[in-house]
Amino acid sequence: MINRRRVLQAGALAGSSLILPALGGRAFSASEAIKIGIPVPISGAFAANGKFASLGAILAAEQASKQFGRDVSTLDLDTEGKPATAVRKVQDALDSSGIKLFAGGILSSESLAMGKEALRRNGVFFTTAGADEITGSDCNAATFRWSVPTYGAIEQTVRPLIDLLPNAKKWYTITPQYVFGEGLLGVSKAIFAEKGIEHVGNSYHSLTEKEFSGYLTNAIAAAPDALLILNFGSQSSDTLRQAVSFGLKNRMTIVVAWASGLEQFEALGADICEGVYFGAQYWHGVDAPGNQALVKSVRERFNINPNYSLAGSYILTKLLIEAAVQAGSTDGDKVAAALRGKVYEGLTGEETIRAGDNQVIKDYYLMKGKAKKDMADKDDFVDIVSRGKSFLSPEAAGCKLG
Amino acid sequence: MTYLFQILNGIGLGMLYFLLAVGLSVIFGLLQFVNFAHGAFYLLGAYFTYDLVERGVSFWVAMPVAAVLVTLIAAATEIVLLRRIYKLPHTFHILVTVGLALMIQELAIIAWGPLGGNVPAPEAFNGVIIIGNFVYPEYRLFVIVFTAILAGALWWVLEGTRVGAVVRAGSESAENTALLGYNTLRINSAVFGLGAGLAGLAGALAAPIRGVEPFMGLEALGIAFIVVVIGGMGSYTGALLAGILVGVTQSVMASLWPEGARLMIYLGMALVIVTMPRGLLGRA
Repeated sequence: MINRRRVLQAGALAGSSLILPALGGRAFSASEAIKIGIPVPISGAFAANGKFASLGAILAAEQASKQFGRDVSTLDLDTEGKPATAVRKVQDALDSSGIKLFAGGILSSESLAMGKEALRRNGVFFTTAGADEITGSDCNAATFRWSVPTYGAIEQTVRPLIDLLPNAKKWYTITPQYVFGEGLLGVSKAIFAEKGIEHVGNSYHSLTEKEFSGYLTNAIAAAPDALLILNFGSQSSDTLRQAVSFGLKNRMTIVVAWASGLEQFEALGADICEGVYFGAQYWHGVDAPGNQALVKSVRERFNINPNYSLAGSYILTKLLIEAAVQAGSTDGDKVAAALRGKVYEGLTGEETIRAGDNQVIKDYYLMKGKAKKDMADKDDFVDIVSRGKSFLSPEAAGCKLG
Repeated sequence: MTYLFQILNGIGLGMLYFLLAVGLSVIFGLLQFVNFAHGAFYLLGAYFTYDLVERGVSFWVAMPVAAVLVTLIAAATEIVLLRRIYKLPHTFHILVTVGLALMIQELAIIAWGPLGGNVPAPEAFNGVIIIGNFVYPEYRLFVIVFTAILAGALWWVLEGTRVGAVVRAGSESAENTALLGYNTLRINSAVFGLGAGLAGLAGALAAPIRGVEPFMGLEALGIAFIVVVIGGMGSYTGALLAGILVGVTQSVMASLWPEGARLMIYLGMALVIVTMPRGLLGRA
């Protein structure tokens, strides 16, 4: 039987077979190869995200090869989720393979570092990482971002939920203490203040924390109406799993502001997800032509539904390839110019790459976990409650591309 | 009241940490062997439980079966590989067992994939106990009671039986134990297997609390070493005391200074290393 796990194992082999001769930054002929570096964590705590991202990039390259009639390939660069390793891998790819276009960077810390390196070496770095700074105060001309940053994620989850749950007047937050978590918490506090919500407490935790029962006991003591979980990946799964085991689902509304989507729901199972609100960048059930085409392709190629890691990497790689073809070059400045201002049919509907800060303007989703008996198929974990676009202006975000 | 629950929660955590660490401590005590693959055996115990439960096997069957499977795998590994390096310096122990841990981790990814999974708590302990405004999962209470009984049974085996006496004698002097006619090679394999099996059992018990994911062994290894260093290498009661101390510290600090919860554990370990290099109850 083919399942998601088997697909990942096959994908790892496929990825390693896609290494083609390098390109420099010069203009290339119509038959010349394009190679995209995929700097994502293939090992370490975020390896699952990286391995799906690799599959998405491979699919985008395969489709582009057919569409443009030229060799297009990807090269996985294992960042291990560490900024220093990520930068070293990008430098190696620039020096030894001549790769100038990069799609990846799942963690904000590694993405900020790789974006700076791309700028320094006339490359382009396109990411799905979340910290506001990437297209805010630390933005640069070579760094692009597809995902909605922390500001929009909170605006599209906390704000509609406050309206949806008028009796939820007291909220408690659990936050990872680094740039991404601080971003989410800051925007949440601003909305709480604006809406007259009492923020009854917050528990910070480290990036390596696995045991959340102590923080949950704090939350219980504060007796909130809603628990807002602001961490990411396996940490948010651990927090949610332990919160459900403490019976919190029956005592308060639980909100995971930045969920990974399908891969996270699969790991948690429907019983834990039921009744929980999730904020997400992507959902395979979104009714948009670009998404429907991706879902069809992924089912044909891998026999699974696309998740966020796969879909995000797919769209980044696809946009970079199209920009390189349009520019007739892999030169960073030319590709960046081709990307800037582009309007296209994306995975969430019409998407725009805003010229002022290289941020893609797209929807963010608020979803609610379904009961197992209501699931139409094994991946039908959630209903979309609302969707929308919320972005600070480049000036308000503090971005000056220079 | 909050602190009372944090202490209760800490004891629950501590009992799991004890179970995880005691095998590492006993293995070091008997074999003077530094086992960096200990966390990987914890991982295996969790994944075997996950796999069996996914196949419809009851958790009550899956948990002991997983522990026994880990025990057998560890004993076989000791016989085939590890006993050949006992006499080498500790750096070789570290090199070989880190390699072994990485192999087990990657095999887990091949077998079960890079995504994690969930193990539901058994039906009998799936609820919560409510006291005033506070709640506590029944399964965590079960873990406290079960581990306490197991700790007592282990202590009795080690301190009150002939088998325990031989193991303790082996840890004092393997040569003299051999001269008394005991097969020390067999004792070593059994102790290594049982030590790793306890880690496997800890993994099986932790699976409904933490779920399973391929990198869970690394965190477990870190905690196990902290507990063993604080309690004293080779000390059974030291591991119990340190496990509870670490669990309670971690839990209470979540109320007092949440962002420093982890830091305090490491500071505590550093303090013990500086002031009591053999640990709280370590032997000279």
